[in-house]
Amino acid sequence: MFRAKTKDLRRTMSRRGLLLAGGSALLTGLLGTRLFQLQVAQNNRYQRLSDRNQFDVRIVAPTRGRLFDRKMRLLAGNAESFELYITPLYVDDLKQTLAALGQIVELTKRDIEAVLVAARKGPSFRDIIVRDDLSQRELARLAVRSPLFGGVSFGKSLRRIYPQGSLACHITGYVSPVTAREIERNQSLEKTPYLGTGKVGVEFAHEDSLRGLPGRERIEVNAKGQPIRVLRDIDAMSGKDLQLSIDIGVQLQAAEILRRGQLEPVELGSMSVQRALAKNNDLQAHIALGDDLVLRDVKDRLVPPESGAVVVMDIDSGEVISLVSAPMFDPNLFTGTLLTRDWRRLNSHPRTPLLNRATSGQYAPGSTFKMVVGLAAIEAGVISKNTQFNCSGDMELGNATFHCWRKGGHGMMNIISALEQSCDVFIYEVALKTGIRKIKDMAHRLGLGDVTGIGLPGEKQGIIPSHEWKLANQGRVWTPGETVVSSIGQGYVLATPLQLAVMTARLANGKQVTPRLVKSVGDAAPDFAPLDIDPYALAIIREGMFKVMNGGLGTARNYDLDKSLGGMAGKTGTVQVKRITKAQREEGIVNNIDRPWAERDHALFVAYAPVKRPRYAISVVVEHGGSGSSTAAPVARDILTKLMQKQG
Amino acid sequence: MTVFKILLRIPWHLLFLAGILVLVGSLALYSASQGSWQPWAGRHAVRAIVGMALVVCIAFIHFDFIKRMSYVFLAAAILVLLAVMVIGTGQGVSRWISIGGVNFQPSEPAKLAVILALARYFSSQPHERMRSFMWYLPAFAIIAVPFAMIVKQPDLGTALMLLFGGLVVVFSAGLPWRYVFGSLAAVLAAVPLLWLQLKAYQKARVMTFLNPESDVLGAGYQITQSKIALGSGGFFGKGFLMGSQSQLNYLPEKQTDFVFTMIGEEFGFAGNIFILLIYLLLTISILRISFRVNSRFAQLTCIGIGMMVFFYMFVNVAMVTGLLPVVGAPLPLISYGGTSMLTVFIGFGIVASAIVHDRRQS
Repeated sequence: MFRAKTKDLRRTMSRRGLLLAGGSALLTGLLGTRLFQLQVAQNNRYQRLSDRNQFDVRIVAPTRGRLFDRKMRLLAGNAESFELYITPLYVDDLKQTLAALGQIVELTKRDIEAVLVAARKGPSFRDIIVRDDLSQRELARLAVRSPLFGGVSFGKSLRRIYPQGSLACHITGYVSPVTAREIERNQSLEKTPYLGTGKVGVEFAHEDSLRGLPGRERIEVNAKGQPIRVLRDIDAMSGKDLQLSIDIGVQLQAAEILRRGQLEPVELGSMSVQRALAKNNDLQAHIALGDDLVLRDVKDRLVPPESGAVVVMDIDSGEVISLVSAPMFDPNLFTGTLLTRDWRRLNSHPRTPLLNRATSGQYAPGSTFKMVVGLAAIEAGVISKNTQFNCSGDMELGNATFHCWRKGGHGMMNIISALEQSCDVFIYEVALKTGIRKIKDMAHRLGLGDVTGIGLPGEKQGIIPSHEWKLANQGRVWTPGETVVSSIGQGYVLATPLQLAVMTARLANGKQVTPRLVKSVGDAAPDFAPLDIDPYALAIIREGMFKVMNGGLGTARNYDLDKSLGGMAGKTGTVQVKRITKAQREEGIVNNIDRPWAERDHALFVAYAPVKRPRYAISVVVEHGGSGSSTAAPVARDILTKLMQKQG
Repeated sequence: MTVFKILLRIPWHLLFLAGILVLVGSLALYSASQGSWQPWAGRHAVRAIVGMALVVCIAFIHFDFIKRMSYVFLAAAILVLLAVMVIGTGQGVSRWISIGGVNFQPSEPAKLAVILALARYFSSQPHERMRSFMWYLPAFAIIAVPFAMIVKQPDLGTALMLLFGGLVVVFSAGLPWRYVFGSLAAVLAAVPLLWLQLKAYQKARVMTFLNPESDVLGAGYQITQSKIALGSGGFFGKGFLMGSQSQLNYLPEKQTDFVFTMIGEEFGFAGNIFILLIYLLLTISILRISFRVNSRFAQLTCIGIGMMVFFYMFVNVAMVTGLLPVVGAPLPLISYGGTSMLTVFIGFGIVASAIVHDRRQS
């Protein structure tokens, strides 16, 4: 009995032992399931959390793509630049260290304040920039003393440089540090240190491909936030290089010829010059920009270089070989911390050096607009090659009188001689018969009144007025008198130097030449569509332009390109800036050179060369340069001479 | 019995499995000190060798002697626990006593004493009495006294393990099911009472356990980092010495309570499952011995010790995986810490003695 019961008990115990074994296995399975959930199912999530623990991510700025001219000469590159960093973790007294550093390198109060703020905000192991763009001298001095400074280190970064100085400033534009507004639009910019973004010019227009993609560096940090090592897991991808159509050699020539104009350079060192400079605010503003070219005009007055614009285009390809806007500025000023002083100088300069006159400067085209009127008239059947009008020196319309530039008049004129001598009255008559609508249409077909799409930011479209335009902009109806004024490229009409070059190119080859700044890949010239203008009409206009240089009375007959280079065909333009009143006219007009600079006429000239097989189109604007023939035409001639001699 | 016979009957497979765990532990501790035998891994290995020698020594002690001494052990354990309350050291808690410069945590061997005392109590009772509830009251007292003392230290983890270990013995002794369910109900009812007894930091731990993300940098830090370390280990781990969480000190207590986490980060799911299986194998091997021994005392002792080893592992792993609150429980044989290792090896020694000196075996 007792035995049996003992047996029962044994059985109970064994059963419960088994139960416990089973329970253990079950609980182990539970743990295994939990581990599976954590380690396998949710591995990605925890991996991410672990990475976030482990790494402080630093963005590595990409190397910006370079800009080259058409012969692969560097227009914008990247140079090594050195920065001074401080790591608060290794510094006992940050303020004191900064003060000591201030004895060795140039540090402003604001620099120091910025470091202190960054040190308060960020983790102590993160390097904080104290100064960028250290000079060689500062580097040397720091290197000697650096053992005395714990936690101070150097960094190396790439900084944009423009080795050509100011020469291509309006084409390349410049890169400068990312602004708060850019960060607002693109958050990712903020995290990349030392990233410059293009603000104007090609640097802005091609920002996306030039910038490249930032890389990523992961700094492994322990639980206390101390860095252990640096892992580079995404290499920065450099931006794409870009070859421009600009020939920097031609650009240099063009800039020099334009700036010098018809003036004589003077020696800056002489006492008399220095004394004269001291009295002349304009000249001081000019010299403060680092330009040491000072000239003397025919009245023996010291003047700054001419301002204006030159555009040289390859007619077949539309490539812009030179695009000068003067005065210029040094884009290198912007790449680092722009000094307030420099910024103020650039902005207060009376001749606005930051403005790209070639694409954003809008000028009344003056007589260079006469080809447009002529073509429109021929196409409309208003005139033919031999249709004649008499120029008596002025034309009455209603109770207004419109004068020709030549007081006594030109006599009997046809379209060719009217272009040759730039007769105003002939064009007035023709324009009135043609009507502003057809003139406007022709202007647009020749590239005026619309942006050319060259790819530079801020390009202006100019103004080609019409009935609709005036109603929309002035709320008044168009009057025939305005057709008259518009016909000689004055009044409301405005065009950029680039548009004038495009117009000239289109007249020269009869196709819809479109300008481009980026060198085309390979030799294949773009196949521009024809303008759909009667070739005979174009030939008449071209003959007029030829006569401008070659006719006995041609307005630019003294400035033709040498015949060995094929000669050129062009058109002068002299644009009134200030309206001449009746009283002034009767009194006798004050000679251009005796007026204040800002009241003098603009001098314009457009041309293509060689005459037989046109290759280049050029437009020249010399602001307040006086006469289109004597000031602008020789500039164009000299530039084309240099360019074509080099081409051989 | 000859020495040779005794050596032959020692359950060497237990030592083999324990050896694997010790080896894993040494490697983990080597990694925990960034690839150095100092200060933990070397001493851990040496202690384990001493511990294994101890198992063999205890195997030579006659099991009847252990049985006779079991109440004495319990009395001694209670006395030492009392001493801890008076002269104990520890960070804001009194868990440790120092004997000749060696820190000692008496709550650990107290578990063994309770198991032995319970086994002795049940083995000496005739079967008829097993049905009356009154008969179980002394057993509960054997558990309750040291449990309460350890809770007071406070060391919730060890106290709970002692409770589980004791209850397993009572359960195995044949506690009728109605009492099993009855006590479960009683325990549940006692939870609010127990809650009031907890210290502020213990309550915080429990609250954090219920919602670890609520306080990621505070009380929830340990468990959050532990889960990150385990989870980021993946299937095969980040590799030996490559666990970023552990090597960069995000993981707290990686040489003691969170050593399993560290192994999980460096050896992954595979490594962790391996360890779980070794523990399960150890537990089942000891339970198997309990089926083979003749005396009730031996049987209950083996079940108690086998389950004690399992509970050690379970509480620790459940804790680091966020299934239980962080109560402070080592992973024996792997965690750095002499007392838990010593306790486990003494337990193995007692099991060895039970089988070596069993009547049925001869």
